[in-house]
Amino acid sequence: MSMRRTLIKQLGALLALLLLFASVNGLIYGFLTCRLSNNFSGTDAAKMIDVGQYLPHESGSDLALIQTDFRLEGELPVLDGAAALVPVYASVIHSVYPKGSVTYEGGSFSDDNYYGENFAPDSKMQYKNTVRGYEAIVDGTTDILFCAAPSEAQKQYAEDKGVELIYVPIGLEAFVFFVNEKNPVDSLTVEQIRGIYGGEYKSWKELGGPDRPINPVTRLSGSGSQSAMDSFMAGREIAEKFPLAAFGGSIGFSFRYYMDGIVGNEKVKMLALNGVEPSGENIRNGSYPVIAQFYAIYRADNPNPNVPKLIDLLLSSEGQELIEDCGYVRISE
Amino acid sequence: MKEKTFRCLILCVLILGILGTVFHLLYAADAYERCSIIRFIAEEPW
Repeated sequence: MSMRRTLIKQLGALLALLLLFASVNGLIYGFLTCRLSNNFSGTDAAKMIDVGQYLPHESGSDLALIQTDFRLEGELPVLDGAAALVPVYASVIHSVYPKGSVTYEGGSFSDDNYYGENFAPDSKMQYKNTVRGYEAIVDGTTDILFCAAPSEAQKQYAEDKGVELIYVPIGLEAFVFFVNEKNPVDSLTVEQIRGIYGGEYKSWKELGGPDRPINPVTRLSGSGSQSAMDSFMAGREIAEKFPLAAFGGSIGFSFRYYMDGIVGNEKVKMLALNGVEPSGENIRNGSYPVIAQFYAIYRADNPNPNVPKLIDLLLSSEGQELIEDCGYVRISE
Repeated sequence: MKEKTFRCLILCVLILGILGTVFHLLYAADAYERCSIIRFIAEEPW
């Protein structure tokens, strides 16, 4: 009887230990791990955009078309860019490049890989996103990069390599902050957001929300949105956060059209800043307080004569119409 | 179950559990670097 009781106790202890680890890992999974995927598949690969929707010269692609007779001939520039700007540069290729200028490894498009695209090395369309894209433009494997403003490290990388980059603003976009749709906070001031990221505010209660810790989410250093955030902070340091903040109520940042037009997730909401919604109209009339330019970037020593022709096209009324058709705001009337 | 066997089993479960949890946290920290913050915030429990 005593042996049986001991055995039950031992098995109970083993079971309790197993349950403890299962509960801890279950909690981590429920609050954290199950949310760590990309926008376009259940994997944790770097798929920030469904490139397959924006393939030039393919039927069913979601691309804009420039109303122009201009067509590029000769040496065709390689275009690359940030996830948010794939629709823009893919539309440029769709409009003025000859068919066959976009090629794929294996002959046809596939997103069944880490980066979600398989452009061949000789393809005139590439998608390296911001961090690898800046390296490609400096190293000369890309002719024009479509991106947000560079980080200090990216400027330094170009300087260290002795490369001068030309940044041509081609459109406007709102830099937006967003929270879960169930978060009752709808609007914050610029100073309140700087206070959140600077470590001044720790709970949503201090900002009119529930008594829940704030989790200020940052992004990969060198990404377009993180560089825009560093600039938004206007010299204030982004504070180190307590690791368990990941279990709190988050606030994140991105660009308006990427959130609204490309990802389109209805479970998040963009916050009004200083009471102004980040709408196209409020970007145009300048009332939204944080407006970012995005650029076509090329090397000053690029000898390809088609590079300045494409830049001129992007700044023309037809090119600016394309920027609007892609969901962004034109830089010039 | 002999006391020695029981202790071995407890130790094994403890080591495997700790290793598993550490691996889980390392995986989460790595995936967090690349994940979409939009999905991360959209799927947040409220």
